[in-house]
Amino acid sequence: MTPRHHLDPSTVMAYAAGALSLELGVIVATHLAACAHCRRQVRDAERIGGLLVEQQQAAAVDDSRREGLRAAMLERLGESVPALPPRRHDDADAGDPDRLPAPLHPYFGTSLHGLRWRWMAPGVHCIRARRSGGGSLFMLKIAPGRSMPLHSHGRSELTQILQGAYSDALGHFAPGDVADLDSDVLHQPVTVPGVPCICVAALDAPLRFPGWLARRLQPLVGL
Amino acid sequence: MPLDSATGSPSPFEAARIVSTPMPQAKDSRDWTIEMVSVARSRDRDSFMRIYDYFMPRLCLYLRGLGSAETIAEELAQEALLRLWQRAEQYDPSRSRLSTWLFRIARNLHIDRVRREPGWIQVLDEPERMDVDDGAGSASSAESYAEHVDLKSRIDRLPAIQARLIRMSYFEAKSHQGIADELGMPLGTVKSSLRRAFLKLQDDVRGTP
Repeated sequence: MTPRHHLDPSTVMAYAAGALSLELGVIVATHLAACAHCRRQVRDAERIGGLLVEQQQAAAVDDSRREGLRAAMLERLGESVPALPPRRHDDADAGDPDRLPAPLHPYFGTSLHGLRWRWMAPGVHCIRARRSGGGSLFMLKIAPGRSMPLHSHGRSELTQILQGAYSDALGHFAPGDVADLDSDVLHQPVTVPGVPCICVAALDAPLRFPGWLARRLQPLVGL
Repeated sequence: MPLDSATGSPSPFEAARIVSTPMPQAKDSRDWTIEMVSVARSRDRDSFMRIYDYFMPRLCLYLRGLGSAETIAEELAQEALLRLWQRAEQYDPSRSRLSTWLFRIARNLHIDRVRREPGWIQVLDEPERMDVDDGAGSASSAESYAEHVDLKSRIDRLPAIQARLIRMSYFEAKSHQGIADELGMPLGTVKSSLRRAFLKLQDDVRGTP
């Protein structure tokens, strides 16, 4: 499985900077688990982050404060090193088609067969994540050979294909591919015949407005 | 990747020593491989404190920019550097610069602290977890000193708006939507500017496709 549809560079950067919502981050991590190309992109983006940190002009710190912190650090160097959390060894069954990618486990469990689909519309089933932040994270199962209504998203949306495939004006999306759509993209996916198309998708967290503005705006923007 | 003396193959540190050649050191970007070897091999406190003195104020600045109060920023920066000391033998100079490694640690500590969402660290650890599969020190991910200096000059030369958007992403961890709202720019423009900036920097980093 070599993905042909990748993350947008702006998404890669936001992920590396820690600036994505958790929901979008989960989809990015799911894609990364399948895509060496995007993992390299992330490493480049982290490298830019490291460089920016290095480049900063260090502010002058009060001498006594700095000495206090140095002394505290030196004292801690003798602490015993906490044992590292064990590396997850779930790659052993990476070839198992029933196994969900590791980044999805906290939200959807570990296996496709264990999913409890809810009927949404003819040919369409859905599951919402068990827990998430303010945004939405969900899985969709769409029957083969079905055309979805034309739609756009209005917010950032990421969709990773796990099984089956669909086509739209942007191309053919197969397992491992991610659709990283701009909010203004209007599309009408059609699932290919054969097996149902199963994908996991996230929408950006709803906007949150502080204070009084929130109370006025939230009914208007439907939060 | 931990040092593995049992295999007899050169450890990352030895490999880095073998290929390292003297290079001029720019004021703001140093190669810390020698200090890290001393920390990993002989638990050398002086080497560690040289790294500490350089990075402590920079990490504090970074963490304050992300919105931490001064004392929290100091606490997280101390924690990040303590991890560097404790896990020094896991650092592989053929894979990443020390600043990249510290950036990851500090970013993860910050997210762990402010977001309190247990899923996040797992999400951010994914590329590191998969590193093993990508082969150690592959040419595309190795960060040579020369490439590093080049990247720095490229960042300096970015158009002002692209540089600003990059800083808002990395130093304020602002979402694309947050940046668009703050600057009154359309979301699509924010994303396309960041995309152009990244590709420009990356092109120069990689040299060849």
